[in-house]
Amino acid sequence: MPVKIIIPGSLKRWFYGETEFSCQGERILDCIDRLEERFPGVKGHLIDPKGYKSNVLIFLNGDNLRDFDGLETTVKDGDEISIIPLAAGG
Amino acid sequence: MIQDNPESKFIFIFHPKILIGKKYTVRNGKEMTNGEVLQYWGKWIVLGEKSWLDKLAIKLDPLVESKEIPVIKYDREPSVNLGIDECVMMVYCDRRDRDRIWQILSRFGVKLKAWVTEKETMEMWLPGGLLLERWIASKDFDEFTQNAVREDAQARMGYLFDHPDEIFVPWEQ
Repeated sequence: MPVKIIIPGSLKRWFYGETEFSCQGERILDCIDRLEERFPGVKGHLIDPKGYKSNVLIFLNGDNLRDFDGLETTVKDGDEISIIPLAAGG
Repeated sequence: MIQDNPESKFIFIFHPKILIGKKYTVRNGKEMTNGEVLQYWGKWIVLGEKSWLDKLAIKLDPLVESKEIPVIKYDREPSVNLGIDECVMMVYCDRRDRDRIWQILSRFGVKLKAWVTEKETMEMWLPGGLLLERWIASKDFDEFTQNAVREDAQARMGYLFDHPDEIFVPWEQ
Protein backbone atom coordinates (compact mmCIF):
# COMPACT_ATOMS: atom_id res chain seq x y z
CA MET A 1 0.00 0.00 0.00
CA PRO A 2 1.45 3.41 -0.85
CA VAL A 3 1.91 6.46 1.38
CA LYS A 4 -1.06 8.82 1.31
CA ILE A 5 -0.55 12.58 1.08
CA ILE A 6 -3.27 15.02 2.10
CA ILE A 7 -3.13 18.78 1.68
CA PRO A 8 -5.69 21.53 2.37
CA GLY A 9 -7.42 23.48 -0.36
CA SER A 10 -5.21 26.50 0.31
CA LEU A 11 -2.17 24.58 -1.01
CA LYS A 12 -3.81 22.83 -3.95
CA ARG A 13 -2.46 25.42 -6.37
CA TRP A 14 0.97 23.80 -5.85
CA PHE A 15 -0.52 20.39 -6.63
CA TYR A 16 -2.35 21.25 -9.82
CA GLY A 17 -5.71 21.33 -8.04
CA GLU A 18 -5.45 17.97 -6.24
CA THR A 19 -5.74 17.61 -2.46
CA GLU A 20 -5.26 13.88 -1.92
CA PHE A 21 -2.90 11.51 -3.67
CA SER A 22 -0.45 8.70 -3.01
CA CYS A 23 3.20 8.09 -3.70
CA GLN A 24 5.95 5.58 -3.04
CA GLY A 25 9.19 6.19 -1.18
CA GLU A 26 11.35 5.05 1.71
CA ARG A 27 11.83 8.51 3.22
CA ILE A 28 9.78 11.71 3.29
CA LEU A 29 12.38 13.19 0.94
CA ASP A 30 11.78 10.36 -1.57
CA CYS A 31 8.06 11.08 -1.45
CA ILE A 32 8.71 14.76 -2.16
CA ASP A 33 10.91 13.78 -5.11
CA ARG A 34 8.05 11.64 -6.46
CA LEU A 35 5.71 14.59 -5.97
CA GLU A 36 8.07 16.81 -7.95
CA GLU A 37 7.88 14.34 -10.87
CA ARG A 38 4.10 14.50 -10.77
CA PHE A 39 3.69 18.21 -9.91
CA PRO A 40 6.75 20.00 -11.31
CA GLY A 41 7.77 22.95 -9.13
CA VAL A 42 6.21 21.68 -5.90
CA LYS A 43 9.53 20.68 -4.34
CA GLY A 44 10.65 24.30 -4.35
CA HIS A 45 7.60 25.22 -2.29
CA LEU A 46 8.25 22.53 0.31
CA ILE A 47 11.98 22.30 0.89
CA ASP A 48 15.20 24.23 0.58
CA PRO A 49 18.82 23.17 1.16
CA LYS A 50 18.36 23.53 4.95
CA GLY A 51 15.35 21.24 5.21
CA TYR A 52 11.68 21.77 4.80
CA LYS A 53 10.62 25.34 4.35
CA SER A 54 9.50 27.51 7.23
CA ASN A 55 6.25 28.42 5.48
CA VAL A 56 4.83 24.90 5.79
CA LEU A 57 4.36 22.29 8.50
CA ILE A 58 4.62 18.63 7.52
CA PHE A 59 3.08 15.86 9.59
CA LEU A 60 3.54 12.10 9.55
CA ASN A 61 0.44 10.32 10.86
CA GLY A 62 -0.51 13.55 12.65
CA ASP A 63 2.84 14.35 14.26
CA ASN A 64 5.16 17.17 13.20
CA LEU A 65 8.21 15.97 11.26
CA ARG A 66 10.30 17.96 13.74
CA ASP A 67 9.54 15.16 16.22
CA PHE A 68 11.22 12.64 13.91
CA ASP A 69 14.23 12.90 11.60
CA GLY A 70 12.84 15.64 9.38
CA LEU A 71 13.02 14.86 5.68
CA GLU A 72 15.12 11.76 6.39
CA THR A 73 12.24 10.19 8.32
CA THR A 74 11.44 6.77 6.94
CA VAL A 75 7.89 5.95 5.93
CA LYS A 76 6.05 2.69 5.54
CA ASP A 77 3.11 1.52 3.55
CA GLY A 78 -0.11 3.02 4.82
CA ASP A 79 1.48 6.09 6.43
CA GLU A 80 -0.21 9.46 5.95
CA ILE A 81 1.61 12.70 5.29
CA SER A 82 -0.28 15.96 5.81
CA ILE A 83 1.07 19.35 4.76
CA ILE A 84 -0.37 22.66 5.99
CA PRO A 85 0.64 26.32 5.75
CA LEU A 86 2.68 27.48 8.75
CA ALA A 87 0.05 30.05 9.71
CA ALA A 88 -2.54 27.31 10.23
CA GLY A 89 -0.49 25.98 13.13
CA GLY A 90 -0.84 29.13 15.17
CA MET B 1 -22.52 26.32 22.97
CA ILE B 2 -21.32 28.26 19.96
CA GLN B 3 -20.24 31.80 20.78
CA ASP B 4 -20.22 33.93 17.64
CA ASN B 5 -19.24 37.42 18.73
CA PRO B 6 -18.56 39.58 15.65
CA GLU B 7 -15.95 41.59 17.58
CA SER B 8 -13.77 38.51 18.04
CA LYS B 9 -11.45 37.12 15.38
CA PHE B 10 -12.64 33.64 16.40
CA ILE B 11 -15.88 31.76 16.81
CA PHE B 12 -15.73 29.57 19.91
CA ILE B 13 -17.42 26.35 20.94
CA PHE B 14 -17.28 25.83 24.68
CA HIS B 15 -19.25 24.33 27.53
CA PRO B 16 -21.56 26.87 29.24
CA LYS B 17 -19.68 26.33 32.51
CA ILE B 18 -16.95 28.53 31.02
CA LEU B 19 -19.33 31.45 31.49
CA ILE B 20 -19.26 30.95 35.25
CA GLY B 21 -15.49 30.95 35.38
CA LYS B 22 -14.75 27.22 35.02
CA LYS B 23 -11.71 26.30 32.96
CA TYR B 24 -11.40 23.90 30.07
CA THR B 25 -7.81 22.96 30.93
CA VAL B 26 -8.87 20.47 33.57
CA ARG B 27 -7.83 16.83 33.81
CA ASN B 28 -9.22 14.34 36.30
CA GLY B 29 -10.91 17.22 38.11
CA LYS B 30 -7.67 19.15 38.56
CA GLU B 31 -6.79 22.40 36.83
CA MET B 32 -3.66 22.11 34.70
CA THR B 33 -0.54 24.13 35.48
CA ASN B 34 1.33 26.19 32.91
CA GLY B 35 3.94 23.45 32.74
CA GLU B 36 1.29 20.78 32.14
CA VAL B 37 -0.33 22.88 29.42
CA LEU B 38 3.03 23.27 27.69
CA GLN B 39 3.67 19.54 28.02
CA TYR B 40 0.29 18.10 27.10
CA TRP B 41 -2.08 20.69 25.62
CA GLY B 42 -2.51 21.00 21.88
CA LYS B 43 -4.99 20.88 19.04
CA TRP B 44 -6.02 19.09 15.91
CA ILE B 45 -5.92 21.51 13.00
CA VAL B 46 -8.84 21.49 10.58
CA LEU B 47 -8.75 23.67 7.47
CA GLY B 48 -11.60 24.54 5.18
CA GLU B 49 -14.08 27.01 3.81
CA LYS B 50 -15.94 28.97 6.48
CA SER B 51 -19.29 27.49 5.42
CA TRP B 52 -17.96 23.93 5.90
CA LEU B 53 -16.48 24.78 9.30
CA ASP B 54 -19.82 26.34 10.35
CA LYS B 55 -21.55 23.04 9.55
CA LEU B 56 -18.84 21.04 11.32
CA ALA B 57 -19.15 23.32 14.36
CA ILE B 58 -22.86 22.54 14.65
CA LYS B 59 -22.08 18.82 14.58
CA LEU B 60 -19.30 19.13 17.17
CA ASP B 61 -21.16 21.43 19.56
CA PRO B 62 -23.07 18.59 21.31
CA LEU B 63 -19.74 16.84 21.94
CA VAL B 64 -18.40 19.93 23.66
CA GLU B 65 -21.63 20.18 25.66
CA SER B 66 -21.14 16.56 26.76
CA LYS B 67 -17.49 17.36 27.65
CA GLU B 68 -16.05 14.86 25.18
CA ILE B 69 -14.18 17.75 23.54
CA PRO B 70 -12.81 20.50 25.86
CA VAL B 71 -12.99 23.55 23.58
CA ILE B 72 -12.89 24.55 19.90
CA LYS B 73 -12.23 27.80 18.09
CA TYR B 74 -12.20 28.70 14.43
CA ASP B 75 -11.55 31.69 12.22
CA ARG B 76 -14.31 34.08 11.31
CA GLU B 77 -12.32 34.81 8.15
CA PRO B 78 -9.00 33.58 6.73
CA SER B 79 -5.78 35.15 8.05
CA VAL B 80 -4.76 36.38 4.61
CA ASN B 81 -2.09 38.63 6.12
CA LEU B 82 -0.37 35.49 7.45
CA GLY B 83 -0.46 33.84 4.04
CA ILE B 84 -3.48 31.57 4.36
CA ASP B 85 -6.69 31.76 2.38
CA GLU B 86 -8.78 29.18 4.26
CA CYS B 87 -10.27 29.30 7.73
CA VAL B 88 -8.65 27.25 10.47
CA MET B 89 -10.46 25.33 13.20
CA MET B 90 -8.53 24.27 16.30
CA VAL B 91 -9.95 21.37 18.26
CA TYR B 92 -8.17 21.52 21.60
CA CYS B 93 -7.47 18.65 23.94
CA ASP B 94 -4.88 16.99 26.14
CA ARG B 95 -2.36 14.96 24.17
CA ARG B 96 -3.36 11.91 26.20
CA ASP B 97 -6.90 12.20 24.78
CA ARG B 98 -6.02 13.14 21.23
CA ASP B 99 -6.54 9.72 19.63
CA ARG B 100 -10.09 9.59 20.95
CA ILE B 101 -10.76 13.12 19.69
CA TRP B 102 -9.26 12.23 16.30
CA GLN B 103 -11.70 9.34 15.96
CA ILE B 104 -14.52 11.84 16.44
CA LEU B 105 -13.13 14.24 13.83
CA SER B 106 -12.50 11.52 11.27
CA ARG B 107 -16.09 10.36 11.77
CA PHE B 108 -17.18 13.81 10.61
CA GLY B 109 -15.05 13.71 7.48
CA VAL B 110 -11.80 15.34 8.61
CA LYS B 111 -8.94 13.73 6.69
CA LEU B 112 -5.93 16.01 7.06
CA LYS B 113 -4.21 14.91 10.27
CA ALA B 114 -2.13 17.61 11.96
CA TRP B 115 -1.48 17.83 15.71
CA VAL B 116 0.14 21.06 16.92
CA THR B 117 1.17 21.45 20.54
CA GLU B 118 0.41 24.64 22.43
CA LYS B 119 4.13 24.90 23.13
CA GLU B 120 4.90 24.96 19.39
CA THR B 121 2.26 27.62 18.81
CA MET B 122 3.53 29.81 21.62
CA GLU B 123 7.08 29.54 20.35
CA MET B 124 5.83 30.80 16.97
CA TRP B 125 4.22 33.81 18.68
CA LEU B 126 7.12 34.75 20.96
CA PRO B 127 9.46 37.59 19.86
CA GLY B 128 11.53 36.26 16.95
CA GLY B 129 8.94 33.54 16.32
CA LEU B 130 7.92 33.03 12.71
CA LEU B 131 4.26 33.93 13.10
CA LEU B 132 4.69 36.95 15.36
CA GLU B 133 7.34 38.45 13.09
CA ARG B 134 5.25 37.69 9.99
CA TRP B 135 2.20 39.30 11.62
CA ILE B 136 4.19 42.39 12.62
CA ALA B 137 5.57 42.65 9.07
CA SER B 138 2.02 42.53 7.67
CA LYS B 139 1.07 45.61 9.74
CA ASP B 140 2.24 49.12 9.14
CA PHE B 141 3.61 49.53 12.67
CA ASP B 142 6.32 52.03 13.57
CA GLU B 143 9.33 50.69 15.45
CA PHE B 144 7.95 51.73 18.84
CA THR B 145 4.73 49.76 18.25
CA GLN B 146 6.62 46.76 16.89
CA ASN B 147 8.66 46.61 20.08
CA ALA B 148 5.56 47.09 22.23
CA VAL B 149 3.92 44.12 20.48
CA ARG B 150 6.99 41.98 21.07
CA GLU B 151 7.13 42.98 24.73
CA ASP B 152 3.43 42.14 25.15
CA ALA B 153 3.94 38.74 23.52
CA GLN B 154 6.93 38.04 25.74
CA ALA B 155 4.98 39.07 28.84
CA ARG B 156 1.94 36.91 27.99
CA MET B 157 3.54 33.79 26.62
CA GLY B 158 6.93 33.98 28.27
CA TYR B 159 5.10 33.94 31.62
CA LEU B 160 3.94 30.37 31.03
CA PHE B 161 7.48 29.18 30.37
CA ASP B 162 8.83 31.09 33.39
CA HIS B 163 6.12 29.96 35.85
CA PRO B 164 5.50 26.27 35.13
CA ASP B 165 3.96 25.47 38.53
CA GLU B 166 1.23 28.13 38.45
CA ILE B 167 -2.31 27.25 37.38
CA PHE B 168 -2.83 28.06 33.70
CA VAL B 169 -5.05 31.08 33.04
CA PRO B 170 -6.31 31.42 29.44
CA TRP B 171 -6.29 34.94 28.02
CA GLU B 172 -9.16 36.60 26.19
CA GLN B 173 -9.12 36.37 22.40
